[in-house]
Amino acid sequence: MAGKMCTMRQRGLLTGCILALSFVVLSLILLPAHADARNIKVGIIDCYSGPPAVYARDALNGFKLALKEINKKGVLGRKIEYTTRDTKFKVGIALNMAKELVMRDHVDVLAGTINSGAALAVSENVAMPNKVPFMVWISKSENITGKKGNRYAFSTGENTAMAGKAGGVALAKRPYVKYWIAGDDYEYGHAIGRAAWQNLKALKPDVKVIGESWWKPGEPNLTPYITAILSAKPDAVIFCTGGRSMTNIMKEIKATGMAKKVPIWIHTGIDYGVDKPLGLHGPVGVMGTTDYLFYYPESPENKAFDKAYEAAYGDHPGFASFHGYITARFIARAFTKAGSLDKEKFIDALEGLKVKSPVGGEIEMRACDHQAVLPEYFGITAMSPKHKFLIAKDITTLTGAEVMPSCAEIMKVRGK
Amino acid sequence: MGLAQGFSTTALGSQLLVGLSLAMILFIVTSGLSFILGVLRIPNIAHGSLYMIGAFSAFSISRLLGGGALGFWLALLLAPLVVALVSFIAERTLFCHLYEREHLMLLLFTFALMLVLGDLVKMFWGANYRSITAPVSFQGSVNLFGAPSPRYNLFLLLLGPLVAVGLWLFSNKTKIGKIARAAAVDREMVGAIGINVSWVFAFAFVFGCFLAGLGGALVAPTISITLGMDHDIIMEAFLIVTIGGLGNMWGALVGSLIFGLTQSFGILFLPQFAIVFPYAAVVIVLIWRPKGLLKSVW
Repeated sequence: MAGKMCTMRQRGLLTGCILALSFVVLSLILLPAHADARNIKVGIIDCYSGPPAVYARDALNGFKLALKEINKKGVLGRKIEYTTRDTKFKVGIALNMAKELVMRDHVDVLAGTINSGAALAVSENVAMPNKVPFMVWISKSENITGKKGNRYAFSTGENTAMAGKAGGVALAKRPYVKYWIAGDDYEYGHAIGRAAWQNLKALKPDVKVIGESWWKPGEPNLTPYITAILSAKPDAVIFCTGGRSMTNIMKEIKATGMAKKVPIWIHTGIDYGVDKPLGLHGPVGVMGTTDYLFYYPESPENKAFDKAYEAAYGDHPGFASFHGYITARFIARAFTKAGSLDKEKFIDALEGLKVKSPVGGEIEMRACDHQAVLPEYFGITAMSPKHKFLIAKDITTLTGAEVMPSCAEIMKVRGK
Repeated sequence: MGLAQGFSTTALGSQLLVGLSLAMILFIVTSGLSFILGVLRIPNIAHGSLYMIGAFSAFSISRLLGGGALGFWLALLLAPLVVALVSFIAERTLFCHLYEREHLMLLLFTFALMLVLGDLVKMFWGANYRSITAPVSFQGSVNLFGAPSPRYNLFLLLLGPLVAVGLWLFSNKTKIGKIARAAAVDREMVGAIGINVSWVFAFAFVFGCFLAGLGGALVAPTISITLGMDHDIIMEAFLIVTIGGLGNMWGALVGSLIFGLTQSFGILFLPQFAIVFPYAAVVIVLIWRPKGLLKSVW
């Protein structure tokens, strides 16, 4: 029977396709690499495939936008160039890619990634032993600059401790007592839930958890979880979801009318990246937190940043874009201040360094734990006449100092 | 907490409805997978990718048509056809060369195809999360058993049995359906009586993939349409097909019901361990009946 399934012509077509494909692949491999002019090299490891790719791309776009301005003048008479590697959200691949970037490409700085596990692994197994600074720009594990922090790891984004505290402080001002906690069953979900709960409990000791549910990250069908939670009748619900689960949970909240029945807090519930795909069909009245909003504060700087970003990429900047942007600024300023490409001098320069924030004011890289001092915005989802998606209203700002663990607390968890 | 807490009929009733509607989506997707397994003997790992393409196409079509109710219904009709077209091209250029190969080869090949299709989706639609909305009349929820049930879930609940009946009529009452079933049992014999088996296979493949696309289009309003949807569904789909009996249409239905209901009731009884329940059910079924609950055509 073999061979009778297709005609000879189809077989010829297949052979043609394979030949053409191998030609393309070969030519890509054999293309000569550009000669090295010893620019400053940043090696980026991030997840550019699968659902997390959307945030990784945002961070990279923000980074590129900042580089465009920086490279006009240059840093120490050089330009900053970068190269990217796709980690496919795997810790093992991230480690190999980071090692390759350090050993073979001799990058001056590493940057990335959205995967907390990968960020921690690269920080401890590549950045530290090889003494290469590593700028973590999306992943939100508080361990990166907390318990597992080290001289070579820096974070330019918020972390779970900050976000959880922002949520806990805001919820403590409200009268709810019986809570249900639910979310993605992975490090980020549990970390954000833990941080929010510890802070809430400390400020309002009479609160109690009446139940918890944890689903696999990205679980497509959340309705059964929501109906089960509603039948337990909690006073309020803390959802600990991230990534694409955010869209899923927001849709289910809308479909079940949950937001009208029970108050809900979800970190990133007011985030642009979450609310944009839902359009005007997102749930109104959900409490959320984030460390960047393109429409708040309404400073001229933030407006200019939004405009420049939109002109370059046809979209508003999300929180990851903001992190990528300030990462580039931190790198450029630190090399300028260090006066050389020496990595240790770069780190010394970066500690306590302040750069201009795209929202106005300055952002400091805290010297004691290498965590960027960022504010958290708390708000409630609402319709807006100006936008075709939900935005946050009644926004309150908690400063970095208010939401970050103190240097003493950091040293305590590091066991020093 | 947990089992000690009494469960009201409200909670049980709403979990039942939700579990059933979940089972219906799973059934529509897995019936296609099962059909291809039965007729072509191909364990098509790329089935999940076609489901993903169905969802993305539904998004594009509904947006192209203005996103209203009309756009939604047309998307529901056209998106599976887009998937059918993609699968037709794949069948005529690639699969038709491979039918006689051993299963391991086919498994590897369809795995590769899944990766390729995943990247093509990323190139074509980008990495953004997408979302579409059901028509206004299907939005929101109604109170059944005193608990909110999303209207769209109820719609799925009606549609699932219709698809099941349609499939049964198709494979038992139409000529092409009968030929496909015959080819599943003995393809050489079907060829010997003068039927062009190549085209029967092409048809069966495209039909199975059409169902994947339909599942993707139907699920689109309830979730975020994103890369990685393919991986989510394909594991579950294969488990369901395995516990139901390979290539058995009713097996796919039974397997989907077991999967959907154990999940939704598991969430109610022991929410912290809810993830485990459907998989525990699979293990129990396979220990009890290693070849699946219903008769496997393999």
